[in-house]
Amino acid sequence: MSIEIKNLCHYYGKGSTFEKKALDEINLTIEKGDFVGLIGHTGSGKSTLVQHLNALIKPQSGNIIIDGEDINADKSRLKAIRTKVGLVFQYPEHQLFDMTVYKDVAFGPKNAGLSEEEVDERVKTSLEMVGIAPELHQKSPFELSGGQKRRVAIAGVLAMRPEILVLDEPAAGLDPRGRDEILGQVKLMHEKLGITVILVSHSMEDIARLVNRILVINGGKIALTGTPAEIFSKFDELEAIGLSSTQTAYIMRDLQAKGFNLPNNIFTVDEAVATILEVYLHE
Amino acid sequence: MEIVVKIDEIVFEYGGQPSDDGENIETPPNVALDGVSIAINKGEFVAVLGHNGSGKSTLAKHINGLLQPKEGMVWVKGIPTSDEEKTWEIRQSVGMVFQNPDNQIIATIVEEDVAFGPENLGVPPAEIRVRVDEALEAVGMTKFAGNPPHQLSGGQKQRVAIAGILAMRPDIIVMDESTAMLDPIGRREVMAVAKRLNSEGITIILITHYMDEAAQADRVVVMNGGKVVMEGVPADIFTQIDELKEIGLDVPQAVEIAHKLRLGGIDLPKGIVTGNQLVEALTNVNRN
Repeated sequence: MSIEIKNLCHYYGKGSTFEKKALDEINLTIEKGDFVGLIGHTGSGKSTLVQHLNALIKPQSGNIIIDGEDINADKSRLKAIRTKVGLVFQYPEHQLFDMTVYKDVAFGPKNAGLSEEEVDERVKTSLEMVGIAPELHQKSPFELSGGQKRRVAIAGVLAMRPEILVLDEPAAGLDPRGRDEILGQVKLMHEKLGITVILVSHSMEDIARLVNRILVINGGKIALTGTPAEIFSKFDELEAIGLSSTQTAYIMRDLQAKGFNLPNNIFTVDEAVATILEVYLHE
Repeated sequence: MEIVVKIDEIVFEYGGQPSDDGENIETPPNVALDGVSIAINKGEFVAVLGHNGSGKSTLAKHINGLLQPKEGMVWVKGIPTSDEEKTWEIRQSVGMVFQNPDNQIIATIVEEDVAFGPENLGVPPAEIRVRVDEALEAVGMTKFAGNPPHQLSGGQKQRVAIAGILAMRPDIIVMDESTAMLDPIGRREVMAVAKRLNSEGITIILITHYMDEAAQADRVVVMNGGKVVMEGVPADIFTQIDELKEIGLDVPQAVEIAHKLRLGGIDLPKGIVTGNQLVEALTNVNRN
């Protein structure tokens, strides 16, 4: 399930005096099974871009090609495409609406016309995947904690068995434990199910420990792409566009400046500890 | 030292609503604050940490009388928040900045939004002009005075929200996860403004999930299950790594690295909280 974006442009308020170019000639390819981090400051175009991936926004110019198919070419294919590409919005818990957790997750598969057994199976496996215990299935989703609500909302998307999962700031506003729960489950799903994941986040630390490739967007253009090691060593470029490297990367850079002989590509805690220990143990 | 906020043994419960017939209690009350006592000194920068549902936002809403405790008392500059006649005086002293910048800005032009508070206080127009200009200057938003707020970034909007509070000349600003929805630069901007205002004498109470922000405070209060479970300078709090993780919190990355290096056999001093302190400590170890 590869994604190809070709010459994608999008303007808000096109033709009006408030016209604003939100996406400017975006070209990129995401391979099947990739775990991609999408970073950029508020207003850089991240959310506009991801909403194109399941045709919630149609390209004003350019094409989105998923598995060789232009997703906007044939209107009758939209439903199938939206099943393939699951989009989890910011604050998805605001979209919970049904009387019970079970019914809320069942809503999508039911509407897709699946049999009762199939719906039941999907609801149960999806809730299990996000770590919601069976005793919570018959509870009202509104009685759950913030982190639990959000996981139920994500289960609703998973129940559609997407091959591509797009998450727009899934950990925003959660405490560290809630954040680790959600992101841990996402990583697990990526590993177990082999689905392609696109994660939008403001947390460089989360991006650093999860993804294998980073897209940096700025002013509606792709500013940088590369592995976490490549991106997080570009301190100046990141800062110039309102981002930063990880806390650990700054520590490593400052140690280098003090004369320590350390490699350039360290940006997570565990790597930093291993490298510093090695330097010290060799002396 | 002068105490500006005194919170004494407060208890607060949500829910416990009677059912429609008014007889039975439909849902059991949910105890959000369970005997919380904190004294905050004038000019202090206090960070309040805790997981979602630990009671930190409920606590914040008690500081300007948005909520009243079921038991216990809160005083702001010696005035009890239960004194209804003084509510406006208290809310002028204690400004609140909330999480979502879009929910706090009401006017269509930045400077009009900042003027809203003093206008409602009946401040004379000439004085309002002075206050608005000073407030926008203090948060570095002067050049956006005539812009519509929707053109601003999240961090800029939060700075406008802070300016709106500054124009009321508060003594205390409570920031309830005011950086949670911002990108890294927005967070940095808002933290820089908070620290500058604090250095000019305004007491700051910062409620946050970001450990690196709490590490910059004078004092950290950790809440869990509606109670204060830890209190102290950042260096004392963040060295209790296991206790913090136990209650669903985290430590700044510098603390975690320092901790793991100690376990690995490097003799680092206690109390490392920031990246600079870690780099400094490692440099000194190497020289020995």
